[in-house]
Amino acid sequence: MATMLNPMKTKKPTNCFVVIHPLDDLPEEKVDTEGLGPMAMTTSVRISLLSLRAYLVLMMLLVFYHVMGMAGLFGHRG
Amino acid sequence: MSNRTVVAPASGVETEVVPVRGRVVKSKWTRDLLTFLMVVGPGLIVMVADNDAGAVSTYSQAGAQYGTHLLWVVLLLLPVTYFIQEMVVRLGIATGKGHAAMIYQRFGNWWGLFSLVDLELVNFLTLVTEFAAIDLALNKMGVDPRIGVPLAAAGLVLIVVTGSYRRWERTVVLLCLLDLVWFAVAFGLRPPVGQIVRGALVPSMPAGGLTPDLMFLVIAIVGTTVAPWQLFFQQSSIADKRLRFADVKWARLDTLMGACITITVAGCMMIAGHASRVHGFTFTDPAQMAVDIGSFTSGFFKNAILLLMINAAVLGTTAISLSSAWAYGEVRGWPHSLQLPVRKAPGFYVVYVVSVGAAAGLVLIPRAPLQLIILGVQVLAGVMLPSAIIFLQLLLNDKELLGEYANKPWNNWVNWTIIIVLFALSLILAAQVAAPNLFPTGTA
Repeated sequence: MATMLNPMKTKKPTNCFVVIHPLDDLPEEKVDTEGLGPMAMTTSVRISLLSLRAYLVLMMLLVFYHVMGMAGLFGHRG
Repeated sequence: MSNRTVVAPASGVETEVVPVRGRVVKSKWTRDLLTFLMVVGPGLIVMVADNDAGAVSTYSQAGAQYGTHLLWVVLLLLPVTYFIQEMVVRLGIATGKGHAAMIYQRFGNWWGLFSLVDLELVNFLTLVTEFAAIDLALNKMGVDPRIGVPLAAAGLVLIVVTGSYRRWERTVVLLCLLDLVWFAVAFGLRPPVGQIVRGALVPSMPAGGLTPDLMFLVIAIVGTTVAPWQLFFQQSSIADKRLRFADVKWARLDTLMGACITITVAGCMMIAGHASRVHGFTFTDPAQMAVDIGSFTSGFFKNAILLLMINAAVLGTTAISLSSAWAYGEVRGWPHSLQLPVRKAPGFYVVYVVSVGAAAGLVLIPRAPLQLIILGVQVLAGVMLPSAIIFLQLLLNDKELLGEYANKPWNNWVNWTIIIVLFALSLILAAQVAAPNLFPTGTA
């Protein structure tokens, strides 16, 4: 963040800027995420997320089954 | 230079005393340049590390099999990868927290746990592929992997345990800059410039049409260019670096610069693959490609490509392991910052060390099922990616959380288009790998 110095206070020539590395700067106030709690979701969003959950579980099982098959666990190589 | 001492909260730690130091400059131009140089890092690293060992393999294979025909696909991915990571920039700066923490807080424990388990699993499997690539490259260089792999793992641990985010970032940025040697390699191979420009700007289909192999490779290119760990890594990195609201534009520029570098380097990898193809070599893996290229050029090209392959794997490993460690630390509420010494954030560093150590160890086990792991990584990453982006999209539309930094309507149009395309590709990828006989093998 660059801050323009007050020439009266610093006695530096005008148009001087101080550039501060983020890790050396004062901590900045961020959004208070703790206080917000869980996101309010409409029914359609909730249903979409549930479908997504089912899709992910199904796909993972499918991949697991296929990899096991390729490893020869079911007596053949896929 | 002004100095004073303040108390600042660090990630997961109550208070940390840090000195406030600044540099005085006289022109706006110098101010902007210096500010950018101070902010640059998370965007560049996430993008360049995305060109990891798997990416080297995928892009060089694309060049070796289809010449310059798929360059336009890579160029098309430049805005895609930028738009996705730019959302992470806004989210990270506005909240000052990592992606895993955000999913836990806004979607609840179940989804948080699901995302975390997915991430840690795919990350670990990807790490195994990174070390497998290091093993392969060392073998071709005549170095015993039983010595080289543990040394690489030790180096990867050493760069993070210094207790300084800046030290880690500078080291990794240096490794990112080494990636630019790909330009020298591509240029030295005397590329057909006209053909490259045409291949990049005019979408064209390779001879043979749309075959399942081509489809698979295109999906692999998309999957390797946009990966789930990138979302978690960049947001946590931004939070750890404590980027400020005033840094948003510089962080965007950092991300754009990284995206441009990663896409052009990806093009260089394709050009290297193309050069081996022109000389009649059949692609098996990037290490063998380096040897093939060395046979008609010089030892420099062979060793440069092998070293670049190791560099890509090292960059991928440090970024992916950190995304795991940050995510786990955020969820468990452990101190999780590279600014902290090991004794103050033991859990965070243990996750990193265990990730690196276990992956390196697995590669050294004789007859480990590496091919199955690589296959699993490709499919799982492909399956996970669209859902990870949906969470990101929902978070970026959360006005309560982001206010003016929330997505604009045009952002949403772009993002939903990307999500739909990625979902379709992920379904095809999963179906093709899970049931290879589902698609005909002849030309379409």
